[in-house]
Amino acid sequence: MTERHNGSSLARYYWERARKNRLAVAGLVFIIFLILMGLIGPFFTANPTAVNFEEKNRPPVGFAIEESVYDFETQQLVTKTIIGTAKHPLGTDNKGRDLLAMIVSGTRVSLMVGLFATGIAVALGTLIGVTSAYFGGLVDHVVMRFTDIMMTFPFFLIFVLIIFIFGPSLLIIVVVIGLTGWTGTARLIRSETLSLRTREFIMAAKALGASDKRIILTHLVPNVVSLIIVIATLSIPGVILAEAALSFIGLGDPLVTSWGMVLRAGQQNLGTAWWVAIAPGIMLFFTVLAFNFMGDGLRDAFDPRSAV
Amino acid sequence: MRKNWLRDYIIKRLFYVVIIAFGVLLVTFTLVRIGPSIGATHPADKYLASMAAQGQDVSQAIAAIEARYGLDKPLYEQFINYAGNLARGDWGWSLSTSMPVIELIKTHWIYSAQLIILSSIFAAGAGILIGILSAVRQYSKTDYIATFFSFVGISIPNFWLGVMLILLFSVQLGVFRTYYDTGIPVFSLANLRQLILPVITLGTGMTAGYTRYTRSAMLDNLRKDFVRTARAKGLPERTVIGKHVFRNAVLPLVTIIMFDLGAIVFGGAYLTEIIFGIPGLGQISFNAIFADDYAVVVTVVLISAFLVLLINLVTDVTYTYLDPRIKYD
Repeated sequence: MTERHNGSSLARYYWERARKNRLAVAGLVFIIFLILMGLIGPFFTANPTAVNFEEKNRPPVGFAIEESVYDFETQQLVTKTIIGTAKHPLGTDNKGRDLLAMIVSGTRVSLMVGLFATGIAVALGTLIGVTSAYFGGLVDHVVMRFTDIMMTFPFFLIFVLIIFIFGPSLLIIVVVIGLTGWTGTARLIRSETLSLRTREFIMAAKALGASDKRIILTHLVPNVVSLIIVIATLSIPGVILAEAALSFIGLGDPLVTSWGMVLRAGQQNLGTAWWVAIAPGIMLFFTVLAFNFMGDGLRDAFDPRSAV
Repeated sequence: MRKNWLRDYIIKRLFYVVIIAFGVLLVTFTLVRIGPSIGATHPADKYLASMAAQGQDVSQAIAAIEARYGLDKPLYEQFINYAGNLARGDWGWSLSTSMPVIELIKTHWIYSAQLIILSSIFAAGAGILIGILSAVRQYSKTDYIATFFSFVGISIPNFWLGVMLILLFSVQLGVFRTYYDTGIPVFSLANLRQLILPVITLGTGMTAGYTRYTRSAMLDNLRKDFVRTARAKGLPERTVIGKHVFRNAVLPLVTIIMFDLGAIVFGGAYLTEIIFGIPGLGQISFNAIFADDYAVVVTVVLISAFLVLLINLVTDVTYTYLDPRIKYD
């Protein structure tokens, strides 16, 4: 590490390192784009739930489809070419809903689920991991065995069961994913804390009579923050995919338009409107990729051993 | 010495399995109790509700039903009954299909099993092969293409991949049928053919994971001293790669594949069955959800949970046999 960072903050130093990873930056740019789309997009797009059967199955701009329509004058079925217009840049679905508006609404849903569920999971995992490692012994043993058990539990089906019982709502989906997704975080944070626990500054804090709570919250947790950020970034894709999968099979919140729901509508009309199934999948794919690239980049940037 | 240790380890693991199984039972039991067990879905209850709405006294009838289902007994006794019934194979009655749940499971498990087994074989074969090629020719064009596709394969949501495959091969090109035909016997070439798209859907993510794992494990081992020794004593490159490097690299992969087998029983296979209309356990539990057929949903959760427990146990035990250096504490 030969570079100097005169007076600049640590965050800036990490940013300088992360910036050198092009894929991570591309990921970050895409994530910022998604956030902007989720925040201000809905003000510029149509109502994603507005049904209009007059304009159903319109192709995206630049595409044309052939459609059989009944011609009242000749009283025959005639083949008409329908061209995508700028009014519906991504086209419409079989109920005439604007696909762009649905995608924008889905961005908001996916990001919200990703952030909140990951937030719950990572906070819980950090607390469990740090506490377990700090106290060690029997506490550690019991907590870690419990974590092992949680890790082998079939959560997707449990999600399905819980949503089946309590009804599909975004809140329940977020809480359930959050409360069950902490195991990986707990393990990683635990092993990191185990090595911190024996350091001098912790011993010094103990010698000064600091309480366990104080040591955990003001000495241990701040030292694993970089790890927490990396874990959170890499956890978000899984959470987003879980929510999308649930909405895709029809167990999503029916009151909000999510990507999974659009994909479901698209799958049911593959023969007439192929574009409806493609758009949400592409969004999901690039979102997952973006978070993965950014997470990898952050991990390298935070790791002092890796040469960037 | 070692034998004793292994025996102790297996006993310890079995002990955990019992605890987890108890936990799973407790969770499903709780869900059954707080869920609409014989609540709004049972025809008799709907009838009773309508009688009550007409101002009639139905408390006796309700008490009779509760007694019949053992709901008047204390909770712990209900739990013991519940576990006992499960152990005897009495898994409840499927309302939507009008048959015992166990009969339903017996006719449908094979569809899930074929999909999961074929996908695992496909993913393991393709992943290991591509991984080896990629590692042996590191930084070649083959390597870059393989790395690119494994990145794509890991990030692509498998349910979307399935929909796209149907769109391309079934709707646009018409090569495959859109829906799985149950009229075709399970052990036939025609069945194998109609499983191609589902297997690719379920297997792509795994293939990508195995490719990446095999590549990095091969590269790690290629740098080891014993490889240099093997080359120095004049062994042909084939033997060096095939015998010395590959064997060391692939061993941990066995665990990963086995654990995946457990994991795909739920997430992946469940979605793939729904997309392609394969009538496996995922599909029937999915249909059961929308038909308010509670017994089927709970049973599938239970079966899957126990299956994963079993697979994980077998994996760990096999692994200790395969690699004598491993010791679990």
